[in-house]
Amino acid sequence: MRRPGRWLTSSSSGRRVPRKEVPMSTTVHRKPQAPRYRAPAPIGGRRRPAVGQRRKNLQALSFLLPALLVLGAFTAWPMVSALRLSFTNASGFGKEKWVGFENYARIFTDPVIINAVVNTGLYALLFTPTAVALALVLALLLNDPRLPFRGFFRTALFLPFIISLAVAAIAWAYLIDPQVGLLNYWLSSAGIRIGNVLQDPVLAMPAVAFVAVWKSFGFYMVIFLAGLQEIPGSLYEAARVDGAGAWTRFRHVTMPMLSNTTAFVLIFALIAALQAFDQIYVMTGGGPYGHTETVVMQIYTSGFRKLDVGFASALSYVLLGATLLLSVIQFVFFGRREREGD
Amino acid sequence: MKRSLTILTAVAAASLALTSCSGAGTGASDNTKAELTFWHGYTEADGKVLNKIVEDFNASQSNVTIKVQTNPWSVIDDTLLPALSSGNGPDIVAMPAERLPVYADKGAFVELDDFYKDSNSNLDKLVPAAADMETVNGHKYGVPSGFVPLAMFYNKALFAKAGITTPPATWSEWIAAAKKLTIDENKDGTPEQYGLGLPDHATVANGVWPSLFYGNGGDVVKDGKAVVDSPENAETLKTWVDAVRNDKISPSGLDGIAGDKLFSSGKAAMYLGGPWMSSIAKESNIDYGIAAVPAGPKEQAASAIGISMGITSQKDGAKTAAAQKFFAYFLQKEQATAWSLGSGWPPLRSDIPASAVASNPVVEALTKQSEFGRPLLPGVVNSTDVLTAVDKLTQRAVAGENIKNLLAETQTSVQKVLDTK
Amino acid sequence: MSTTLRPRLLPPGGPVSGSRRAARARLNRAVVVVLLALATAVILLPIAIIVFTAFKPATEVNAFPPTLVPGQWTMENFTRIFQELPFVRLIGNSFAFAGGVTLLALLFDSLAAYALARIDFTGRRMLLIAIIASLMIPFQATLVPVYQLASNLGWVNTFAALIIPRAADAFGIFFLRQFFLSLPRDLDNAARIDGASEWRVYWNIVLPNATPAILTLGVFVFVNNWNDLLWPLIFTTDKNMGTLTSGLTLLTGPGGIVPYGVMMAGALVAILPLVAVFMFVQRRFIESVATTGLK
Repeated sequence: MRRPGRWLTSSSSGRRVPRKEVPMSTTVHRKPQAPRYRAPAPIGGRRRPAVGQRRKNLQALSFLLPALLVLGAFTAWPMVSALRLSFTNASGFGKEKWVGFENYARIFTDPVIINAVVNTGLYALLFTPTAVALALVLALLLNDPRLPFRGFFRTALFLPFIISLAVAAIAWAYLIDPQVGLLNYWLSSAGIRIGNVLQDPVLAMPAVAFVAVWKSFGFYMVIFLAGLQEIPGSLYEAARVDGAGAWTRFRHVTMPMLSNTTAFVLIFALIAALQAFDQIYVMTGGGPYGHTETVVMQIYTSGFRKLDVGFASALSYVLLGATLLLSVIQFVFFGRREREGD
Repeated sequence: MKRSLTILTAVAAASLALTSCSGAGTGASDNTKAELTFWHGYTEADGKVLNKIVEDFNASQSNVTIKVQTNPWSVIDDTLLPALSSGNGPDIVAMPAERLPVYADKGAFVELDDFYKDSNSNLDKLVPAAADMETVNGHKYGVPSGFVPLAMFYNKALFAKAGITTPPATWSEWIAAAKKLTIDENKDGTPEQYGLGLPDHATVANGVWPSLFYGNGGDVVKDGKAVVDSPENAETLKTWVDAVRNDKISPSGLDGIAGDKLFSSGKAAMYLGGPWMSSIAKESNIDYGIAAVPAGPKEQAASAIGISMGITSQKDGAKTAAAQKFFAYFLQKEQATAWSLGSGWPPLRSDIPASAVASNPVVEALTKQSEFGRPLLPGVVNSTDVLTAVDKLTQRAVAGENIKNLLAETQTSVQKVLDTK
Repeated sequence: MSTTLRPRLLPPGGPVSGSRRAARARLNRAVVVVLLALATAVILLPIAIIVFTAFKPATEVNAFPPTLVPGQWTMENFTRIFQELPFVRLIGNSFAFAGGVTLLALLFDSLAAYALARIDFTGRRMLLIAIIASLMIPFQATLVPVYQLASNLGWVNTFAALIIPRAADAFGIFFLRQFFLSLPRDLDNAARIDGASEWRVYWNIVLPNATPAILTLGVFVFVNNWNDLLWPLIFTTDKNMGTLTSGLTLLTGPGGIVPYGVMMAGALVAILPLVAVFMFVQRRFIESVATTGLK
């Protein structure tokens, strides 16, 4: 017997209260039959009595002000500054000249950049689904309150995230070095050779993506765990009463209730993947011969090594555009389920 | 307009200060007090020696104080750009020599042509090849603080076991020794011991393959032109790629750091490295010897590891003059000798013989090789991209790709890099 | 509102089927534990390398064949750290920097997230999109302008330069907004009807109920700043301002390369406070389930 969504409507109706304020006159703040998704209100349709809206705006502003001041000064303004630089040949100091779209033109004609773009896409494809799926599975396993050693596992699996990347990269290098590496030594004693994975044009990218997954799944796992804490136990109880098995409970309670978290983790894993830099810089430096070179590595090299800050800024804006586009696509595919959002 | 005016006044002030400096000599006093900051990356024992020289200099001056700021070289490279962008940068900064041209080209450094002509500057005593590192677009922009050719380190115990008594002096001896020292006991095609650690990318100071190219009369860039695609270089690549691929004298896909480890774990009998290899070897209980990079068929030469110091152009003339005083002091015979012994690098003055630094046998050995040293890509502004192209060339060649095509491809890309300004 | 806690849930169904199910659940759990233990062992292998290398003498670190456990245990790597670094000051600076950023960011982010999740103001959607978009520019691109601004404000070599640019971040705002959205509105609407102001709803209802999310974000912000190397190095050139992570880079060895043993010892010392923080926090996850009263 499957009645998708049944347990949602029976016990968590409060979660689907329409976003708009409940009129003051009514004490009913549960609306079980409220439509699950609301189409965005047309701009005109949102209008309220001007006074009430102005009060709300002021209230919102008072909450937003500290964050907006910080973000405005240290994120928005530098972004505007970088946008201006992207149309110059600036070195960051000394003289600079307006060059129009020259930097942008170079991006789309330079084979080195195009290679970096392709690599970044490949990396994102390898990293994002693996890290998110692994994190989700482990979070589900570790959410069982009767699991023995739960606290130990949680802490142990989170450890890779808190170790600084330079150290982690050296530890991995120590393990998989083809000549003096420990893992290689053990395996070759057993007659297995894994070769020089970081120097193999085909295997290098999966290897650095693997280390990135190792490094970051713990954090995504903790986000999922926090998300799981917010699912009322009563939902599972209701589902059990109805005889739902583990899979059904996962499919029809956990997944829908976790969709906000999942959408969030996916978007941020994607953004992180598209900005891959640190562990690749430390582990392969972009090699072997450019096979792990990424866009942000090119931004870094152009800006901090070649002092071509104008070009680095232009490349950053192209990356921003591409990320935005991919996020929108991802949102259309996965984000639809977002509960309550506007 | 406003900016160019500031630059003009700065230049005027600098030249004024310069004339007063050269007119009155280095010990002269002027009335302006100058406090300078000096960034360098000498973080070990060498740093203590350098800081001592700076302190002595401060004590000898009534109007100048230099404050030292130490950070690893890579950190200096990462923090210098933001610091310069808002006028917070150091007055003097030391950096790997191949990094100097790009900063100089973008206007970060004061031009030092007149200072080089000043007889009190001690710069006429420099090892000539070291001075060559400092020329960018026809002008001098820096003063060397270090210049040492790559040297060959060899494992004496492994040599003795193989019955080799003297380190190889020519390429043919070198390859023969490497073959003899390569041991694959279980015949699985992967030797347990290698004759040589020959990195094919990110090599020590990027100098291993340029050294090999020089040995056969080749080069990478000459007089601002790409000269990678030459029959000499093709021959060099073929010789060494054959030795690595067929005779397995070295693992392939090695980089500088992995190479260091290979030698220090006793798995490679020979290795090209910098002066610090002696400390690494000592730390790892390796009984090592030092020899020059064996002579190639055409020449005996080795790429040098160089460090340059520049004066940032953000500051006023008094500071420039004070910084020049420090350089002149640093290059005096006594200080140059102390610095050489303390840093483990050969003396920068050509009039200090190896015997003068004999108290440190490593320095003595390296000083004897000083004459073979050649600066890496002097004056090449975009050295980053050229070195990337060379890395790509050697790595793909060792991986077995067609050398002729690779050279042609590298020639095109290096020339393109040199052409774009 | 249901007050049932999952741990107290009685297995539904008759006693017979219940015990069979319980037995099966126990078996499942045993399998899960074994699998988790295996996965954890693989995941912890590099960390074991770090721990053991920290206690190895230099000769052993570079030796072949490589070993996992030191043949001879030594404290020399740790001694070097404590002798050569002003350890107390570095760790104090690290706490001031990472802790300061974390406290301010949690406050500012949660305030902004509250407005974005609960107050229907004009331009809300545009603001949200702008905040997410600001994450899509790599920090390497804005570092120079950020530095220039901090420098113009005279903040270089002060904690202000380290902390204030990071006192709010787009990631945290969006993250908390997502969690605030999934909190049932029953409670805050009831409070509003009782006349509570938005501030009281934020402080007394939403924040306490979002404890797991706040803690998660806190760990994230703290860890990232604690481990950040370049940021403190760029904004502070004064050695007295150094953090533990940036200070450890000074322990270089021959050729400017940090000896691995020393580096690993440093890493070990540096992550101990982080492990403590996380162990505290992950316990609180479980507690928070019992205390929120929502579940």
